[in-house]
Amino acid sequence: MLAVIGSSVAAITGMSRLIVDIAMYFGLFVIVAMALNFQYGNAGIPNFGCAVQVIVGGFTVSGITLRLAYWLVEKAGVKLLPYQTAYDWLYNSQLNVVAVNNYLKTHPLLGISLLLFSIATAMVLGAIIGWVISVPAIRLRATYLMITLITMADASQIFGRNIPYICGGTLGIWIPNVFAWYPGDRGVITAVVTLAIGLICFFIFRTMLNSPYGRLMRAIRENEVTCQSVGKNVVGIRRNILMFASAITAIPGVMTAYYYSYVVDAMYQRAYWTYWSWLMLILGGPGNNAGTFLGCALVIAMRRVIIVYKWFFDKILFFPISYFEQILLGLLLIVVMIFRPDGLIPEKLLYIPGVNYTKLVRERVKVDWRTAPKMRLAGKRRRFPLKFWRR
Amino acid sequence: MLLPPLVMAAIVYACEITILSIGFTMTYLTAKIPNFAHGTYAGYGIYVNYTISKILGLNPYISFPVAFLVGGSIGVVVYMLVIGVLTRMGSGAIVLTISTIAIDIFLTALLYIYAYWLRDTFKTYTIFFILKERDFQLGGTPGIFFVALTICIVTVVLLHTFLTKTRLGVSMRAVAEDPELASVLGIDVYRTQLYSWFLTGGLAALAGAMYPMWFQSHPAAGSFIITSIMAGSLLGGMESVYGAIVGGFGVGLSEILLTNRLQATFGIWVGEYRPLIPMFFLIAVLLIQPRGLQGAYEWLTKSKRGIELLSKLGIKVE
Repeated sequence: MLAVIGSSVAAITGMSRLIVDIAMYFGLFVIVAMALNFQYGNAGIPNFGCAVQVIVGGFTVSGITLRLAYWLVEKAGVKLLPYQTAYDWLYNSQLNVVAVNNYLKTHPLLGISLLLFSIATAMVLGAIIGWVISVPAIRLRATYLMITLITMADASQIFGRNIPYICGGTLGIWIPNVFAWYPGDRGVITAVVTLAIGLICFFIFRTMLNSPYGRLMRAIRENEVTCQSVGKNVVGIRRNILMFASAITAIPGVMTAYYYSYVVDAMYQRAYWTYWSWLMLILGGPGNNAGTFLGCALVIAMRRVIIVYKWFFDKILFFPISYFEQILLGLLLIVVMIFRPDGLIPEKLLYIPGVNYTKLVRERVKVDWRTAPKMRLAGKRRRFPLKFWRR
Repeated sequence: MLLPPLVMAAIVYACEITILSIGFTMTYLTAKIPNFAHGTYAGYGIYVNYTISKILGLNPYISFPVAFLVGGSIGVVVYMLVIGVLTRMGSGAIVLTISTIAIDIFLTALLYIYAYWLRDTFKTYTIFFILKERDFQLGGTPGIFFVALTICIVTVVLLHTFLTKTRLGVSMRAVAEDPELASVLGIDVYRTQLYSWFLTGGLAALAGAMYPMWFQSHPAAGSFIITSIMAGSLLGGMESVYGAIVGGFGVGLSEILLTNRLQATFGIWVGEYRPLIPMFFLIAVLLIQPRGLQGAYEWLTKSKRGIELLSKLGIKVE
């Protein structure tokens, strides 16, 4: 691992490149999946708009940070080609970015502050998107909300595709390398930073879930009316959760843009960010972070290996392998839902120092499964009726 | 030419969206979930039409009943293998909806693989195609215009008769209302659900078979129009089949005619934003009147302020 981190540019090829790629994608998707676990697994809010928040992160980098970088570098005395009109913004982008990269190579502080600025801005914008989503979320039924969020992801992609000032329309726009000061490979340092952000997010989420607020979240998931009756502001708590998780979800969009040094709307498809993250959550088991990690690692490893060995599959198959990948996604989701409804690692009882919850929760409660979102009885798992064709 | 081609295209499209919205609403009534795979059934209809008319060289209208059967059997298989199992396991509405999204992804990918297989075997264009030239002409007007209108009207009339007059239709409505109460009355809930999934799948594939007769088609064409279908059904109120008829026709008409009008006003670039029109309908309906036209109608005829408004306009309610 240290050898990979300390290596020069040329050393990262073949298997090491695949490992770096898997690590990067694991870092990206684990943040989305953890935020999703926070919302759906623990608070019971079905957020189907992850792609919206991720796309906001990407657009922040291309629309705001890029302009800021140009402006700062021009202030410092480097001559840039004009970038004010849509035409210049697009067609001078590559040359401008090369000039900015040359400047950033000798000014590491500017690069780091640009990265921090873009993450902070993306988080603020993501939180605003979360607030916008929460307004109908409070009023609408869960299924209606799902429809609205899925269409919102498409709508934001259409705007990105047709307004060149955001991310260069269909051609896309180049992004300066904020890690230009790093002597080794850019992919490695981006992956390390992403994994570090993921680790920080994990500790934040874990602390929040083990705090009284986290227990309140689970209580709202289990029974909303009871929480309201004891005087909890359910609507406000839901709004806060959505805003916080949306802010976190915007970070992977930023890191994707820096990983590719390029932003185009097609990078942020809803099939990609929403559906695969949901598969990870459901495969691993909603409600606990360990399951999210496991599901994310399995799915990412599988997908990246399939993509890297595409040349091999394309020789023996008559169709592009990406459709086989989609079939795998659909089948896995359905099979996991039917045979392992609690995921690979089912949710465990909450661990709180000094409290023996297993002793407390001995009494079996009758739950109406039609309305309850998930099986909540500890130690008992639903069995799938094998002869499902016979009622 | 009976009408300008644009208006005819809008009417054909509206007929398709109407039939699809009816099916979507019926699924929502019986299973209480939005079926995201509903548009993909239409994709299967498109390829049944393509296979019969282009590969086998037969009349494209022969494919319509075949498409109905194929779509119906896909609906039945989906219900038997996934939705029914999950419902009996007691999964919630969210899990069921995610499962329909998974089915949508799965079926679309399968259709793409079929299209690539056709391309490999018969060496023709199978991904993007249009079957307009295989249509017959009636006084200079393409036949699909009359056929689509006829199918739409006949479907609505037959469906009304079926749901109100026949025993199966009445039991279907009973199951949609309350499955447990219906099973107490001796209705076989499982079989009734199977029939209703057959009917919705078949109707969707029938609408899909009409699609390539006028519009450019590809395997994902069905899943692209799911937004319009949902907008049509939400505009109709999601709770009544009759609302879906009005809503689907309105959304389908406005999607083409409104885009054209906006292009004439603002310039050609507005055409890129065409998918936003059904989204606009969706969000407007959800924010103003979440129960759609059905809710608006009930508000007008039942509430005090609505009746006042009607009497001001000179309309009497008995």
